[in-house]
Amino acid sequence: MDLRLPSKVLEHILSFVDSNEDRNSVSLVCKSWFETERRTRKRVIVRNCYAVTPAAVARRFPEMKSLTLKGKPHFADYNLVPDGWGGYVWPWIEAMAAKCPSLEELRLKRMVVTDECLEKIAASFKDFKVLVLTSCEGFSTDGLAAIAVACRNLRELELRECIVEDIGGDWLSYFPETLTSLVSLDFSCLDSEVKLSDLERLLSRSPNLKSLKLNRAVSLDALGSLLRLAPQLVELGTGSFSDKLDQEAVAKLSQAFSELKELKSLSGLWDVLPEYIPLLYSVCPGLTSLNLSYATVQMSDLVELITRCSNLQKLWVMDLIEDKGLEVVASSCKELRELRVFPSGAGLDETNVAMTEQGLVYVSEACPNLESVLYFCVQFTNTAMVTIARNRPNLKCFRLCVMEPFAPDHKTQKPLDEGFKAIVERCKDLQRLSVSGLLTDKAFEYIGTHGKKLRMLSIAFAGDSDLMLHHLLSGCESLNKLEIRDCPFGDTALLENAAKLKTMRSLWMSSCCVSFGACKLLSQKMPKLNVEVIDEHPLETRPDSSPVERIYIYRTLAGPRLDMPEFVWTIHKNPEIGVSHLAIK
Amino acid sequence: MENSNSYSPYSSSSVDSTKPLPSESSVNLSLSLTFPSTSSQRETSQDWPPIKPRLRDTLKSLRLRQRGYNTALFVKVYMEGVPIGRKLDLSTFSGYESLLENLSGMFDTSVICGTRDSKHHVLTYQDKDGDWMMVGDIPWDMFLETVRRLKITRPERC
Repeated sequence: MDLRLPSKVLEHILSFVDSNEDRNSVSLVCKSWFETERRTRKRVIVRNCYAVTPAAVARRFPEMKSLTLKGKPHFADYNLVPDGWGGYVWPWIEAMAAKCPSLEELRLKRMVVTDECLEKIAASFKDFKVLVLTSCEGFSTDGLAAIAVACRNLRELELRECIVEDIGGDWLSYFPETLTSLVSLDFSCLDSEVKLSDLERLLSRSPNLKSLKLNRAVSLDALGSLLRLAPQLVELGTGSFSDKLDQEAVAKLSQAFSELKELKSLSGLWDVLPEYIPLLYSVCPGLTSLNLSYATVQMSDLVELITRCSNLQKLWVMDLIEDKGLEVVASSCKELRELRVFPSGAGLDETNVAMTEQGLVYVSEACPNLESVLYFCVQFTNTAMVTIARNRPNLKCFRLCVMEPFAPDHKTQKPLDEGFKAIVERCKDLQRLSVSGLLTDKAFEYIGTHGKKLRMLSIAFAGDSDLMLHHLLSGCESLNKLEIRDCPFGDTALLENAAKLKTMRSLWMSSCCVSFGACKLLSQKMPKLNVEVIDEHPLETRPDSSPVERIYIYRTLAGPRLDMPEFVWTIHKNPEIGVSHLAIK
Repeated sequence: MENSNSYSPYSSSSVDSTKPLPSESSVNLSLSLTFPSTSSQRETSQDWPPIKPRLRDTLKSLRLRQRGYNTALFVKVYMEGVPIGRKLDLSTFSGYESLLENLSGMFDTSVICGTRDSKHHVLTYQDKDGDWMMVGDIPWDMFLETVRRLKITRPERC
């Protein structure tokens, strides 16, 4: 008796299965389920562009409509990955253009995108709708013009913190008069000025525009007329908030803001002058997300704004907010889920530091839904971390950056081991953790013992010995991404726990004590991993005992990559390319 | 390990070791005391604390403003032996490399950092204490805060 589910029925069932995690499970059941699943998957996510080849992905998912790719390792955000390392999207675009021409959406993170790539996208995908580039580089505003002019059904064009060669603001004028489908536009990372009239005309013919993030060059004066053309906005990133306006202009702008009845998210606010903060009061009660990372105003001004944002779920702010300001956040923003506090540099040279661990303690006490924290602070205490852990066992992401490397608990002078122990012990669902300050191997023993759900861990300037790495690799069962810089270990722990690396997406270690010999050994032991030695000052004949600058290890089905620059070595490299003189036994 | 300033011998006289150092330089100091650092000293101020480039730039100009500087940082540049100098906005450069490139173009000769010799034009600067120092020893950010003027020395005659 044939007990197989007819594929049409399975297809129908699968149309309700959105999560790729679930779809991955479905594809493991049997061959026919694998086939049906792969033919119906529309949204494909590849979290390491070198883990698999473009051709393999295109072959497996012919009906792909949306592709998400990530390239460089996370530490590339902080200049730790040299230029030219890799992460080129071109081969992917080539493959998709050939095999999946009905691709509509491309989301790229930390990849190198050239103008050629953008031109190919514009030329190859007839119904292209969504381009979201996060922390990408390699293209110019000419490439943007190519997208603008050709993609007749474009819905989203977002450039999030990209490094773009800015040739001028003309690109915006390339959107044809027939384009009326725009839903989201983010050019906040560009420097040059776009023509206001082009922008106004674009807004006038985009009734579905929900998200608009302007760049710094858009003046406060211009903002008024733009808002009047798009009162339906849900997300707004302003331009510079600092021109001198006359009373009439201020009144008009205030009126324009009060018309934004749907606004939920506000960002931009570069150089905001304190006297303009009241302009924002009318939108505050509706805001769920507020990004004040570039608002370099003092605590009293920030507080005026925050005290009116009772529905805030996400707050990004500079440490200019001080402990007092965070106390106000605690009492005003009961719905808060995510808090990020960035360094302003103000506290670094002064002995009187106005933002301390206390600020975070206040928020942890009063905001029951707080689950994600990124906190830059000059120093911290164990007691504070214990309190925070006790208050908020529901934390999912805890990233503490004590900016003074090796800084101990500033009250007891002890290492911060006990504090982080409390965090991993109490926060049972913790998935992401960044540690800092003075830490001994004990801290990592605690993390290895308790951090069972931990998926991503970032470590800098910590630990005493190889034991630290050993605790982590042997203890953290769910560990997926581990990134380490300036810690005193290497070889032994790495080689002993080599098998663990196959269960992780990637491991990054820079300025540690991993020897070249260990890298070679690891490469030989683990053929399913790419072990990349990234060394900008390679020695002609590198002795086995010499420490390497950086090592990046990731699992892959694609084998060695073909686009490695000179300063990246893997065991597969040909001697004639010039870096390796390794004789493989 | 000796408790010495981790910068190269050239600049040691100008840094007061009793003054609290900005975090970038204490990173240098701490690293060299505990274990050998394999990262270039000039680069460390670009990767700690771990914040993204755009925020880092915002902070740079914020710090300069807090110290009483405009975000533009014009200094005079002289070529030794040439009476008429030039003016340069240092805030437009991302680091020593782009500064040297620009100066080399401006004065139509190759300008480098380093010791004086018979072949090269070497860049020096006068710091806020009035001392003439070799360019390139301290992190770029610190350099911007202390530099007052630049001088390009001529190759030493034998």
